[in-house]
Amino acid sequence: MTSEPLPVDYYIPLIMFLIMGAIVPIAALAAVKIISPLKPNSRKLSTYEGGLVPIRDARIQFNVQYYLFAIVFVIFDVEVLFLYPWIYVYASEFMQRYMVFGIMNIAVFEMLMFIAVLLIGLAYAIKKEALRWV
Amino acid sequence: MELSAIIEAISSWAASEPRIYALIIGLIGAAVISGVINIVAMYVVWLERKVLGDIQARYGPNRVGSRWGILQLVADAIKLFTKEDSIPRDADKPIYVWAPIVASMTTMLVAAALPFGAVNIGGKEYPLVVANMDLSALYVEAALSVMTISVFMAGFSSNNKYSLMGAFRGMARMIAYEVPMGVCVISVAIMAHSLNLVEIVQSQTLWYAFAQPLGFIVFTVALITDLGRIPFDQSEAEEEIIAGYTTEYGGIRWGLLYFQEYICMFLGSIMLVLLFLGGWNGPNIPFLTPIAPMIWFFMKVLIVLVFLIWTRGSLLRYRIDQVTDLGWKWMLPLSIVNLAWAVVVGLYFA
Repeated sequence: MTSEPLPVDYYIPLIMFLIMGAIVPIAALAAVKIISPLKPNSRKLSTYEGGLVPIRDARIQFNVQYYLFAIVFVIFDVEVLFLYPWIYVYASEFMQRYMVFGIMNIAVFEMLMFIAVLLIGLAYAIKKEALRWV
Repeated sequence: MELSAIIEAISSWAASEPRIYALIIGLIGAAVISGVINIVAMYVVWLERKVLGDIQARYGPNRVGSRWGILQLVADAIKLFTKEDSIPRDADKPIYVWAPIVASMTTMLVAAALPFGAVNIGGKEYPLVVANMDLSALYVEAALSVMTISVFMAGFSSNNKYSLMGAFRGMARMIAYEVPMGVCVISVAIMAHSLNLVEIVQSQTLWYAFAQPLGFIVFTVALITDLGRIPFDQSEAEEEIIAGYTTEYGGIRWGLLYFQEYICMFLGSIMLVLLFLGGWNGPNIPFLTPIAPMIWFFMKVLIVLVFLIWTRGSLLRYRIDQVTDLGWKWMLPLSIVNLAWAVVVGLYFA
């Protein structure tokens, strides 16, 4: 018996929601299996490609440019992850004791530096045309 | 016994037995919310067809179920249930089958942490939320973007060139707008001093749409891209790549994927209302005090939904390179400007 709910208690309903989210489509698919006709033939099961016979497999080697997007995304997503805990401490009294240039506290100053470095990186990526869709 | 006394008794019992309460509320909530979001999504589709009809000076559905066509979606569902369920020969069968199921699980995970309005009993507001976790804003934003995984699963497993192209576009679009969206959520959390959606709503004496208009604009654009709505629906642009990632899907499997999009649209509108439009806050309505917050909440959600449909009716689709450019070169810097604004307001004017 605890009066303060443990963090894990908030996540118990998620399991039920996950199961419910799987049950609904699976039930729909099962119902379709019972009531709908099934008459497959070779043409019906072929891949659609403008009405012609498909030429080769669809899973081609794709452009390396695509990875650059992904790498820049990972960098900035990690930045956002660092911001989430920061919002709880940036205005705390402890941080307010240490002022930089007399206008901002140390937490804000550090995050300013962090974001500035990343924005320089973004400017570099844009200048190098790493973020150009081809 | 008064209604407020009963609710007080239940909530004190819930505080003493949090785990059993979580189990019970999870079971009831999963059943009720699954039903509600599916029915609401049906009427979102109906609303879209009706409003688009009005925009294009035609009637929209007007045969099945009175002259408003309110049973059109039931007829469509019956059609989808009786259609043949065929899986393409060249598809990756397990991934192909699981894509709609993963989509449905994702939308349910989002719905678990979203407050669906609040009721006002005995002068106290009780938010209707199943999993009221401390980080629900972060959680909902993360769960919404998992939707892209099911898009990629569907596109990649179909083994169709159009589907694959749609999947790549969907992924590139998501990663371009994920960061601005996250920064906007952080800006809101900085002003609210919390990441809990209920506390964010309660802290909005001034709507955050007015307190940080730039963040509101960036978040709306990022939300439209996350939902894959015109002008950002490059992953299923029917004029260029047939039906994008759903090209190889038919019958009920297509229906499930299509339906999840509309459920996401409903949940996304709720997210926008909670973060920027004051949630269920609003003046009291005489004689309807207990459900006044609900009325305000769903009126705002309806307005956001009609706005999303309106953009579809009046804007043109961007090219995919324009979309990624807009995301990286405009929305990301603008969201950081908005973050700076939120910090300045939070530190010096609060």
